[in-house]
Amino acid sequence: MVGVLGNNGSGKSTFLNVLSGQMDFAGGYRIGGRNFKEISHPESARRIGFLPQEAALNMPFDSFYVVLTGRFIHSDGQMYSEQDISCTEEAMKRFDVYHLKDRLFNALSGGEKQRVLLARVMNMDTEIFLLDEPFSGIDILHQIRIVEMLRQLRMEKIIMVVIHDLSFAVQHFSRFLFFRDGLLLYDMARDELDPEKLTDIFGVRVGFVEQDKRMFVYTEEI
Amino acid sequence: MRLILLAALAAAFVAAISAGAVKIDLFNMSEIERNILFDVRLPRVVLAGLVGAALAMSGVLFQYVMKNPLADSFTTGVSASSAMGAVIAIMLGLMPYIPLFALAGGLAGLYLVYRIASDRGRIQPITMLLAGIVLSTFASATISFMKFLSDDAVSSIIFWLMGGFQAATVSKDLILFGVICLSFLVIRGDYLKLDILCFDDTTASSTGVDVHGLRKKLFFAAALLTSFSVGYAGIIGFVGLIIPHILRLGNFVKASYLLPASLTGGAAFMIATDLIARTILQQGQELPVGVITSSIGGVFFLYLLIKRRKELFYFN
Repeated sequence: MVGVLGNNGSGKSTFLNVLSGQMDFAGGYRIGGRNFKEISHPESARRIGFLPQEAALNMPFDSFYVVLTGRFIHSDGQMYSEQDISCTEEAMKRFDVYHLKDRLFNALSGGEKQRVLLARVMNMDTEIFLLDEPFSGIDILHQIRIVEMLRQLRMEKIIMVVIHDLSFAVQHFSRFLFFRDGLLLYDMARDELDPEKLTDIFGVRVGFVEQDKRMFVYTEEI
Repeated sequence: MRLILLAALAAAFVAAISAGAVKIDLFNMSEIERNILFDVRLPRVVLAGLVGAALAMSGVLFQYVMKNPLADSFTTGVSASSAMGAVIAIMLGLMPYIPLFALAGGLAGLYLVYRIASDRGRIQPITMLLAGIVLSTFASATISFMKFLSDDAVSSIIFWLMGGFQAATVSKDLILFGVICLSFLVIRGDYLKLDILCFDDTTASSTGVDVHGLRKKLFFAAALLTSFSVGYAGIIGFVGLIIPHILRLGNFVKASYLLPASLTGGAAFMIATDLIARTILQQGQELPVGVITSSIGGVFFLYLLIKRRKELFYFN
């Protein structure tokens, strides 16, 4: 599970958009040994589940149907199967949004919407998940539940998460990508994290405090 | 709900073929009445139904393409540019080619609006509406100019712009029926994709839908439906805007419900309004059907807007 961090406009979202094939790019990258550019569009959707930073829906669909549409790549394109429906129920239960299934998606609160959208992406059941600020608007309780769920998947899936809360990231993630000014500056494991480098990346003083075998991060203006 | 729509369509159809300047008792017809029914009234009622179905479906498609509840053949400028094509055909005396000219005008107008309103493949709804309005205005101005230029064609042009089904023939019915079937079959397999298209483009595309390809297909189908309707029946406003909205308020939300329902609902609405248009005045005079669609439709839509405002906000 990889945390993608950096200040606003540092290129995190662009990076995820490029990886998911939503944005044209120069150069190339490989996915499972194959050049990404050789993978055609519907197939890339079958391999990468992408949660964009801002999602919008302009039809009065209920939440269940919103999550169900994540199964499109697994369906025959004409109708959702029984299996798609049971996967959807499962995904909604895992993200604690099953009780919202009959509510209109657009009538939900910001955090509830975000959780429904997360359930939708995870419902795609792809090998790679790119999540752009999945925790925005979500309460602490659900943040922790969700990140635990993602951690359980980390052995079988590649999960990349854009996140702003540095101390939350340090607590739960094991590998980090740091962006600044459109450049990927560092690719570090958790034990390589260095307060000086972080200070340089974020433009604020970053310090670590260890207590009861937990790592705490504090930040202050330079 | 589907049954209600079908029942409404059947009722409108029966009422429309029996009522009119000459009342026809369907179970006891004289020779003359039989001729009236089969040569005049039936083709007309069928044309009205088909045009209603085509306009309602094109409205639904435009709304998917533009992600905008205000989109229909009017606001996108397609109707006006189709009409411009048709008027050019009238001016040149090429009456049999009116639908072709309407199609060419409609497609050209649509392409123009699409180009202006899209930025790297993304359609900007506000720009689209503005471009559509500009195009409509321009096309109307051109039509007025052509009316001014040619005195002898003026009456047929005016008939055209008011819209109506007087010129119905069986062959027109068949062609329009074919066009509707074709568009419907082309779109039929894409119901799930249409629903996903209601998300933002990034979400839709990363879910596995070829957003731009699908949009082009919808665009073409909608333009085809509009152009043939305009080609055969002139400009009839409001059907493409109001029928989809009413259906959505009636809980036809998923494409697999909404699209078939738009055909039935549009047909029933148009047959009923045409019936009113030709029976409301005494002595067999007719009102232009556009007057009825706009007034009934407008009042009903206003009622919905006021009474059920909340449900209309689903478009964010």
